[in-house]
Amino acid sequence: MSTQQRSGVGPPRGRLRRIGAWLDQPKVLAWLMLGPAVLYVIAFVGFPFLLAIALSMSDATIGDPSLDTFVGLDNFKAVIQTDAFKLALRNSLIVTAGTLGLVLVLATLASELLVHAFRGKRLFQMIFILPWALPVSLTAIVWMWFLDSTFSPVDWVLVKLNLLGPGGVWGPFKHMYFLGNEWLGLASVIVTDTWRMLPLATIIVLAARMSIPEERFEQARVDGAGVFRILFRITLPALKPMLIVAILFTGLLVIGEMSLVQLLTRGGPGHSTQVLPYWAYLKGIQGGSLAQGAAITLFLFPFLLVASVLALRAAYRSQEA
Amino acid sequence: MTGAFAALAIGTAGTASAQDESKPSPQTFPTSYGDLSFPEQYPDGTAISITQWSHFVPSYDEWFDEYARKWGDKHNVEVTVNHISLGDIPSTLSASIAAGQGPTLVEMNAAPSSFIEGLQPLDDINAAAQEEFGEQADTCRYTSYLPAKDQWYGFCHGWVVDPGVYRSDLWSDAGYADGPQTYDDLLKGGAKILQDTGTPVAVGLSPELDSEFFARALIWSFGGTLQDENGNVTIDSPETLAAVKYIKELFDNALTPEVFAWNPASNNQAYIAGTASYIQNSISFFRSAQDIGKPVTEHTSFRPGLKGPGGEVHMPAHIWFTHVMPKYVTDPDEIQSAKNFMLDLERNYSHATYNSKLYNFPAFSKQVPHLYEDGGWLDKDPWGSEPADKMAFMKTAEDWTVWPGYPGYANPAVGEVYQTHVISTMMADAANGTKSPEQALEDATEQVENIFSKWRDRGFIGSGDN
Repeated sequence: MSTQQRSGVGPPRGRLRRIGAWLDQPKVLAWLMLGPAVLYVIAFVGFPFLLAIALSMSDATIGDPSLDTFVGLDNFKAVIQTDAFKLALRNSLIVTAGTLGLVLVLATLASELLVHAFRGKRLFQMIFILPWALPVSLTAIVWMWFLDSTFSPVDWVLVKLNLLGPGGVWGPFKHMYFLGNEWLGLASVIVTDTWRMLPLATIIVLAARMSIPEERFEQARVDGAGVFRILFRITLPALKPMLIVAILFTGLLVIGEMSLVQLLTRGGPGHSTQVLPYWAYLKGIQGGSLAQGAAITLFLFPFLLVASVLALRAAYRSQEA
Repeated sequence: MTGAFAALAIGTAGTASAQDESKPSPQTFPTSYGDLSFPEQYPDGTAISITQWSHFVPSYDEWFDEYARKWGDKHNVEVTVNHISLGDIPSTLSASIAAGQGPTLVEMNAAPSSFIEGLQPLDDINAAAQEEFGEQADTCRYTSYLPAKDQWYGFCHGWVVDPGVYRSDLWSDAGYADGPQTYDDLLKGGAKILQDTGTPVAVGLSPELDSEFFARALIWSFGGTLQDENGNVTIDSPETLAAVKYIKELFDNALTPEVFAWNPASNNQAYIAGTASYIQNSISFFRSAQDIGKPVTEHTSFRPGLKGPGGEVHMPAHIWFTHVMPKYVTDPDEIQSAKNFMLDLERNYSHATYNSKLYNFPAFSKQVPHLYEDGGWLDKDPWGSEPADKMAFMKTAEDWTVWPGYPGYANPAVGEVYQTHVISTMMADAANGTKSPEQALEDATEQVENIFSKWRDRGFIGSGDN
């Protein structure tokens, strides 16, 4: 006796068979497979985005978030005039560009290292991935203590090396005040973002690096190509599509992130390290001007849209080539 | 008061006899306050939830949770208390109002006037409380009532003193036996201490709560204000400019650049680590230091705020405990029991003050007689300060404590100026030389006027007469 007969379950017949055949049609199956993702995008991306646009053109406050009054572009005009907004826009672009630059260089180097076998590689990989596994807030707190104005171990080392402190090369203070200075503060945010984003970018780049046949490198070496020639003529062109994907992912995650700045510098001194997402939060939620907060968040949209389209087109072209 | 009293001792603190002046009075739960009457027991199924920030003195939360549970048992109400981070309070209330559901009561730490359109008027319990408990502290009244809307949007049950704190040993060695008395002392003495010992004055110039409060105390004590009684912007004045010039001089002589990077915990940490000669903060850091036995506590002295050039002393409260009830709360039993809870809490506030280790001051001073009376808690700290009268300076705190928006009400514009760090940024920009004091004040004035103009257009600012 077969298993099907024993359990009383036979091949589908009648209506069930027709439903099965209908579901097997490529068009139906495609919609069924894509449906959940489409619904997800509509519910969690499309709707909030439209809501943000509607809020930014209203006079909504946190006490009355209704959309009953249309004010056109007034909120955009109001926020764009402030120094804080200008600094936040500038800093958002600096932090994103700085992080992308560092991440791309380091991810390429790391993938070159990880593509080879070496003793302790698994342990190294595990430690390497840790920053990506940590919550952003925990990352920020770790770095906040690391760069603390009073208790920083980095300062301690610099004092021991006679670089800081009375008679030191970098001045009489015993602290660098990493988070209390405009450019050091921005650099601190970039370094922290790089530390957090490097594992993801490395995994993406490593996948591409592993797909390059080793014979191409061997042939190049036999032909007398040096390290840099191999890097620029073989490795980087082959990595290009995935590097673009890494840029896209890293850029989008960094430019929309506010927790790091919120915890590390709170946008200070003054507004000198302010970024758009945190400024939108301060203005919209803490300050009560929900509509202006929404307007601030939307300022990045055109940049992100153009950058994303260009990056994806470049990635497709590279793949086709 | 016409209702019947029901006395109930709750918790260890509540078991003290009425004669024992070192302990809070026995707890009572009347069934009426002024014109408001409440049942002894609510119908089955009545429930309230309270979201409040995790207290800086942990023993308060332990007491409050137990008090709320037993209050619920007595009144047949299921009471749920959620403690969240101080910084998450505004976003939690904002999300709840937008969603149309959430906690019955939210305890705010600063005037929540920008939420007023989403909040239920609490005029009745404020009137009942004033009838029952007497005069409310100005710092509470001005941060829970908005004249432009003629509405009590919150019920402020307590507040926190924000004193000056100094290292008595360092200041004594510098020739100031009683510590700094004026801002001029802070500048000259602070500079001398920094020069002699390397220990700076530690007042923040960062976009955070303590820096905002120091900046306001400085401006007020120099005679400047952000707005007048009717909500007209007054920040651009010679007095404010003098305060901004002062901060530049103070930074150049007695501070270090670390103050630009500070968060609300930084000055506490610096002080406890022995790397600060003067800070402005509430007493919670001192209680923490007592708990962990830091030697620095024995050289710690407190004082009311410093005197400005004209002899004025004004300090903000450090925190306000203001309950609000969003409009989405519509169940009559839930509303009534929540109001009952708020009034009972104020009735029994001596327990709140005691269990917060004198951190919570009552909105109605009459409710905690042990606090102020001669030989009371401030004269003889039940939590072990040495000397025992270390906290006695707070007896006059109501006289020198004001509020954001002083001398006017804490309207939404005042809140936005505070939350978007306009004032601390003005001070930081002047101190680190990014802008001249004049330019920093001019830029801040423009921002303040824009913010006030926006909220005025919406009808949130003014005396309510027009």
